[in-house]
Amino acid sequence: MLARTVLRSVPFRGAARQSLNKTSSRASSSAAGPESASSPFHLTVTASVATAIALGSATYLYGQEAFAMTPAEEGLHATQYPWEHAKWNKTFDHQALRRGFQVYREVCASCHSLTRVPWRSFVGVTHTVDEMKAFAEENEYDTEPNDQGEIEKRPGKLSDYIPAPYPNEEAARFANGGALPPDLSLIVKGRHGGCNYIFSLLTGYPDEPPAGATVQEGMNFNPYFPGTAIAMARVLFDGVVEYEDGTPATTSQMAKDVVEFLNWAAEPEMDDRKKMGFKAITLLTGLFALSVWVKRYKWSPIKTRKIVYSPPVPRR
Amino acid sequence: MGITDYFSDVISSWLPEALAEAPAQDAEESSAPESEPEVKADESEESTEKSEDSAEDSAEDTPEESSKEAGEEAEEEEEEEEEEEEEPEDVKPKIEEECTNSAQCAPYKHHYDECVERVTKQQEDEDYKGPKEDCVEEFFHLAHCATQCAAPKLWKALK
Repeated sequence: MLARTVLRSVPFRGAARQSLNKTSSRASSSAAGPESASSPFHLTVTASVATAIALGSATYLYGQEAFAMTPAEEGLHATQYPWEHAKWNKTFDHQALRRGFQVYREVCASCHSLTRVPWRSFVGVTHTVDEMKAFAEENEYDTEPNDQGEIEKRPGKLSDYIPAPYPNEEAARFANGGALPPDLSLIVKGRHGGCNYIFSLLTGYPDEPPAGATVQEGMNFNPYFPGTAIAMARVLFDGVVEYEDGTPATTSQMAKDVVEFLNWAAEPEMDDRKKMGFKAITLLTGLFALSVWVKRYKWSPIKTRKIVYSPPVPRR
Repeated sequence: MGITDYFSDVISSWLPEALAEAPAQDAEESSAPESEPEVKADESEESTEKSEDSAEDSAEDTPEESSKEAGEEAEEEEEEEEEEEEEPEDVKPKIEEECTNSAQCAPYKHHYDECVERVTKQQEDEDYKGPKEDCVEEFFHLAHCATQCAAPKLWKALK
């Protein structure tokens, strides 16, 4: 086998060498080579001009300033934080969710919508029925058309969704200097880095941008935002919110709470999902062991049988 | 499904229970017995108004002004609260500064400081006509090192 492959490879190598020889000979015939001293004058001029044009265009294309992808355009990759709820056997900290909702309501909600989350989804998770009813009733919603076809306003119900701060995208852009505050319902799933990215973004505004970095007017320097220029200014300052449970409302504490809350908004099923996964793994392990036992039980007569061939003794 | 109910009962007996109805209102009072509920409600309304104001300011004004105003507001709030609580102070900048000055991040800090010095010299020099440079990359490396070093310490300090 080995000998055959070696034998087969020999002609290939021979062919390759042949082709190499061919190309080299062709190249030498076209290039000036040793006969350059005796080459005609017009050939030398043509070659010089071609070289000059090539060098000039290369300088024009590549020599000025390189517009390659820079680290600033990528943004600083968010640090991995040891989130408690990210562990596979842990739930959300529901007190943190409650604090996070308070931060969203008092700080973020003035610009960012949370349109995919209804008031009812908080009931039994962070707040009681009465608390959420009170929150919902603070907002007005359109009714169904009445007998005269007019649409009136009614106080919110638990089944309503959280109202957006702006009626449409254009209004949001107009109010924020052309920048659109994204909807936060699925923002944790929708950004590379998830919780780490949002926490880093909220807490990562440096006191002043590093030397030489240019920040346009109306923009803010944030190393974690791709391009480093973000329209959102720093909003979380120590003591902006006063927590009802007495937790000191520092910047990083509020950021941590609101990020955990946004993760819950994006994955409200996480607690149940982990519980179901635990149950499923437990049950399926038992069923797998059972199936192994049944298989061995059923196959045991076949596996342990012995087939013996006793040839007939020829008669003589 | 008898057997699955059994398993779910066992598991739910381990996990904390979520209540949809309001439980007896002892928890808040026991945590803060001094503050009265009426005062609390007033404070929360004030804080919401202030937060809205600050958000509007930040949308309209330049970031420097808004940050100053917000800082002033925070100071005012802190002055008001000083009677009841000590002012909250963030531990993150402290921990990250310690990390920045630690031996772990010393090479990055060295590069960053050198870059800042070089670039500020270039900016001050009017005759300088070399390529324009910034310290974003050096800042990234330093910030990455500092935050990575600070992450576990920060999470121990936070609730």
